[in-house]
Amino acid sequence: MKKYWAIFAIYWEEGLSRRASFLMERFRALVVLISFYYFWSALLKHRTSFVGYDRTQMLTYVLGMNVLRSLVFATRTEEIASEINHGRLSGYLLKPVNFMFYTLFRDLSEKSINLVSSLIEVLGLMFIFGVKIHWPPNFQSWLLFATSSLGATWLYFILSFMTGCWGFWTSEAWGPRFLLELFLEFTAGAFFPLDVLPQLAQEIIKCFPSPYLVFFPLQIFLGKLNSHQILNGFLTQAFWNVTISALARLVWSKGMQNYSAAGS
Amino acid sequence: MSEQYGQPLRPKGVGAPTTAGMTIISMKYVRIWRRLAVMSFMVQAESFLSSFGYLLGKLVRLGFFLFFLYSIFKHTDALAGYTLPEVALFFLTFNIVDILAQLFFRGIYGIRSMIREGDFDYFLVQPTNVLFRVAFQTVDFLDVLTILPVFAITFHLLRLIAAHQGQPSNHQINMILYAILTLNGLLIAFAIHIVVAALAVLTQELENTIWIYRDLMTLGRFPSDIYDTPMRDILTFIIPVAVMVSFPAKAFLGKLDKVWLAHAFLMATTSLALSLYFWRFATRRYTSVSS
Repeated sequence: MKKYWAIFAIYWEEGLSRRASFLMERFRALVVLISFYYFWSALLKHRTSFVGYDRTQMLTYVLGMNVLRSLVFATRTEEIASEINHGRLSGYLLKPVNFMFYTLFRDLSEKSINLVSSLIEVLGLMFIFGVKIHWPPNFQSWLLFATSSLGATWLYFILSFMTGCWGFWTSEAWGPRFLLELFLEFTAGAFFPLDVLPQLAQEIIKCFPSPYLVFFPLQIFLGKLNSHQILNGFLTQAFWNVTISALARLVWSKGMQNYSAAGS
Repeated sequence: MSEQYGQPLRPKGVGAPTTAGMTIISMKYVRIWRRLAVMSFMVQAESFLSSFGYLLGKLVRLGFFLFFLYSIFKHTDALAGYTLPEVALFFLTFNIVDILAQLFFRGIYGIRSMIREGDFDYFLVQPTNVLFRVAFQTVDFLDVLTILPVFAITFHLLRLIAAHQGQPSNHQINMILYAILTLNGLLIAFAIHIVVAALAVLTQELENTIWIYRDLMTLGRFPSDIYDTPMRDILTFIIPVAVMVSFPAKAFLGKLDKVWLAHAFLMATTSLALSLYFWRFATRRYTSVSS
């Protein structure tokens, strides 16, 4: 386990040394945050609530989605396809590490840097705009929120790891990955709460794993779910985690059978 | 060599080109653009799966956002005083300016690698305008395919809003104003791209600056009226996203004062002039960096 923490530490330092890319990424997140903050503020200007969210709850959702996007969606798994295509995967296979754990800890370093940064941004915006936050009422809610966020983090990681493995079969994995990321972000509730959508759209989206990435944890945070809904949500999130993990393992082993590399 | 970088070479003693000469020069640039476009298309067609994924992604993003707006208006009648077709018009105008800027000035995104790999030096000795060559080096055909549905939906919305408003005599003027201000927005976008290119020539870095512009542009997805005073002023006077994106839609809706019209045109001409000056300043100080 020690070696994986060393990988985490190395990539943490590397992440901080790529200052321009890091700042750009955070700037992008901040612009999304600001635009949606103003959007919902304008909608709630002359009303007390919108689709069951009062102003405090809606702005908590907007700030919360910034934090969760940083934790869940921050990844470096897009490098996997290129590592496979260029034969760099061979280097990892020769090392005494499990490649999936290697990429997991590489991702965790990226996620932790982004998480810290997003928390600072949110605190800054709370201070500048005087935003009030709807905090969870008790320790149990915090614990449930943390657990669902961890489940969401693994779910996105394993999904994006699997899509990185497309590199075993094609050198053109970027386009389909772009499509999948957009789809996941929109249907995860990473831009708006999913309950603003019509009922039919919500029912369709719930058939996918994406609502358990951002929407479900934030619903727990906002105290919008009863115990039955929370249990149901955790079971569904666990189902997706187990299913996609198994699928990713299958894709990885099939890919490894297909993999060949030449050169130095 | 007394000629400035960024200017095609002209033998000494030869005056400014005549109208016929200008036509020949224009035709030459059209031919170069067509050739560059064909080359870009061949590159994109070569990686069909990836290009198809990107294209579908762009269309899905557009569709999802329109669906989001539609869903919002199931629960409200207005956003900052605008109806659903009007808010959608703001969003589509943002898309038109953003996509056209990407379509025509895509080359700027790769200026750093052009400089590093020596392509920029190669462009400098070619008998074409360097800025033209850099800006139009890449033509993204995925944007050509994305802009078509955007144009179609915008046209439909313009007709819908016009039919709802009445007063047909004003529609033609508003439509012309909308087109002119959209082009005006594109000119400002071009000026920003030129500044980014000039910064890259001066520093051989800062190619990320273009992404700052792209991110800031997304603030124009919604009507500028949703922003409060300091933010709205920033978007109108400092980072003119509102001028580029919100002003055309407002002009069509008849909600743009004449003063703001003048402000928009002044901003476009000033920013274009300053950016061209900065480009010449940067290229004059350029020393090759590639081997």
